[in-house]
Amino acid sequence: MSRREGSLEDPQADSSVSLLPHLEAKIRQTHSFARLLTKYAEQLLQEYVQHQGDPFGLPGFSPPRLPVAGLSAPAPGHAGLPAPERLRLDAAALTVLPPLLEVVRRHQAELNPRAPRLLRRLEDAARQARALGAAVEAVLAALGTETRGPRPEPAAAAAAAAATGAGVFPAKVLGLRVCGLYREWVSRTEGDLGQLVPSGPA
Amino acid sequence: MPAGRPGPAAQSARRPPPLLPLLLLCVLGAPRAGSGAHTAVISPQDPTLLIGSSLQATCSVHGDPSGATAEGLYWTLNGRRLAPELSRVLNASTLALALANLNGSRQQSGDNLVCHARDGSILAGSCLYVGLPPEKPFNISCWSKNMKDLTCRWTPGAQGETFLHTNYSLKYKLRWYGQDNTCEEYHTVGPHSCHIPKDLALFTPYEIWVEATNRLGSARSDVLTLDILDVVTTDPPPDVHVSRVGGLEDQLSVRWVSPPALKDFLFQAKYQIRYRVEDSVDWKVVDDVSNQTSCRLAGLKPGTVYFVQVRCNPFGIYGSKKAGIWSEWSHPTAASTPRSERPGPGGGACEPRGGEPSSGPVRRELKQFLGWLKKHAYCSNLSFRLYDQWRAWMQKSHKTRNQDEGILPSGRRGTTRG
Repeated sequence: MSRREGSLEDPQADSSVSLLPHLEAKIRQTHSFARLLTKYAEQLLQEYVQHQGDPFGLPGFSPPRLPVAGLSAPAPGHAGLPAPERLRLDAAALTVLPPLLEVVRRHQAELNPRAPRLLRRLEDAARQARALGAAVEAVLAALGTETRGPRPEPAAAAAAAAATGAGVFPAKVLGLRVCGLYREWVSRTEGDLGQLVPSGPA
Repeated sequence: MPAGRPGPAAQSARRPPPLLPLLLLCVLGAPRAGSGAHTAVISPQDPTLLIGSSLQATCSVHGDPSGATAEGLYWTLNGRRLAPELSRVLNASTLALALANLNGSRQQSGDNLVCHARDGSILAGSCLYVGLPPEKPFNISCWSKNMKDLTCRWTPGAQGETFLHTNYSLKYKLRWYGQDNTCEEYHTVGPHSCHIPKDLALFTPYEIWVEATNRLGSARSDVLTLDILDVVTTDPPPDVHVSRVGGLEDQLSVRWVSPPALKDFLFQAKYQIRYRVEDSVDWKVVDDVSNQTSCRLAGLKPGTVYFVQVRCNPFGIYGSKKAGIWSEWSHPTAASTPRSERPGPGGGACEPRGGEPSSGPVRRELKQFLGWLKKHAYCSNLSFRLYDQWRAWMQKSHKTRNQDEGILPSGRRGTTRG
C-alpha cells in the first residue's frame, strides 16, 4: 500500500500527505452529504416524536430498546477501528436502513395519515440513506478496499422488524428506534469521513 | 358498516358502567423491558372507545416470578402519571386501571397508555382511540373546468371533529345506469375536496355523494344530482389590457380575449369587471358586461393608478339553462388615468366601446339631447365620439392657457416669464 493508504490506516498520521485529487474531492463531497443528512435525520426524529404524542419526545423518555434484526447502534469501540473497517460498517448499516425506514413509513401512513411532512421525510430518509451508503462504498472502492462483508439481507431485516411490531405502541417504539439508529449512523458516517478529509481548503 | 350506525366497539362502549364488559382482545407480545428481566402485557391492546365512556385495563407482568410483582407498578397516560386511586392490584402480577368519562384522543395516532415498573422503566404500552363516529357530510358543490373534469367540495359533519382519523370518500355514478365509482385525487382544493380528471359523460345526470368512515362508524351525505353541463366554469379571460382613452382623464379602456378552451362554445358568455384604486382594498364591480370583450370605465379619478380584473361565466353552454359558474378573476392589470388640473369625480361605470350611452347623468342627458338633435336639426354627424374629441381638445387648450398665464400646478402664478 502507498503512503496514502497508510495514512488512512492511521488517522493520526500527517494529513499533509495528499490523496489523489479525485479521491479527496469524493471524500469531501461525501462528508458534506453526510453532514447534511445528519441535520435531516435530527429533523426527522423531532418530527416523528411530535406525531406520536407524549411521552415520546419528553425529556427522560426511555422506551425499551427494541432489538431491530440486522441492525444495532454503532458499537462503543467503533471509533477505535481502522478507517476502512469503520466505513465498511457505516456502509453496511446504511444499506440495512432503507427497508426499515420504509416499514416505519407504512406504519405511520396508517397511524398519522394527515402528517404528509413526516411521511415525506421518512421516504426521503430511505432514499438518502441508500445514496449515502452507495457514496461510502464508492469511497471504499476508490481506496482499494473491499466493501462486502457478512451482513444480513436488508429485506430480511425489514421483515423481522415488521413482525416484532405487534400493536400500535410497539410500532411507535420501533419507529423511534429506527429513526434513532438512522440518526446515529449518518452522524457516525459523517464523523468517520471527517477524519479522512485532508486539512486545508478544498 | 351501514351508514349512520355506530360500529360494534362503540355499541359495547355505550353500555353504562358497571355493566361495561372488559374489551378483551387477543393478548399480544409486549416490548421487552429495559431491564431485560421482565415483560408485561396490557389488555386491551389499542381499544376504540366513545368519548365519555369508561375503560378498564390490566397490566400483567411476566418473566422471573421472584421479581415480577404488581406492587410498585404504575400507569401513565400521554406521559402523565395517573392517580394511584385509579389503580388496584388484582393479584401478585396484575395491576388494574379504571378510567371514566374519557376525553377525545389528543393525537390521531392514539393516546399512549403505558405501564411502568417501580424504577420508571416502560414495561408495556397500549394506544387508546377515543372519539365520535362521523356525522353526515353536507353541502356538496361541484364544478367542471371546461367540461373536461369534475371537482367537488363538501363540508364534514360536526366540523369534522371526531378526534379519530376519519376517511372521506367521494362516490359517483351515472343516474340511470352504471356502477359506483370512487374519486381518487383528494385535497385538490382544500382538505375536503376531490377531483375526477376524466371519463365523464355530458347530457346525462350523475349522482354524487360522500361517505365518511372511522373506527366508530360511518355516515353518508345526501345525494347530489347534476349534469356536467350545468356546472361548467372556465379559465379567466386571458390577455386583459387596460389603456387610456386618448387624453380623457376619467376613462380607461379594458379589452380581453374570450377564454380559449371554450371559444367554440361560448355563445352567451357573461363577463364581470372589477377595479380599484391602487392603495384601496375596495373593489367596484361592473356587472352585465354581456358577450363582449371590451369595455370602457368612466367617471374615474384623474392621475390615479387603477387595478382591473375580469372574469367569465360560460352560462348557457350547449343549451344549459343553469347559471354557470364564474371563473377566477384574471391577474390584476394596472393602468393610470391622465393627470388633470381639475378634481375628477370619484365613481365610475362601464361604457361599452363606440360611445354608447352609459348610466352617468351627464352622458344620459347628452344622449337625449343628441337624439333630439338628430330628429329636429341637421346635425347627423354628432355622436359621442365627437363629444369625446371635444373634451380632449378642451383639456389641451386648458393646459395651454395655464402655461400662457404662468399658472403652476399648485395654482400659484409664476413670477417671471421669459
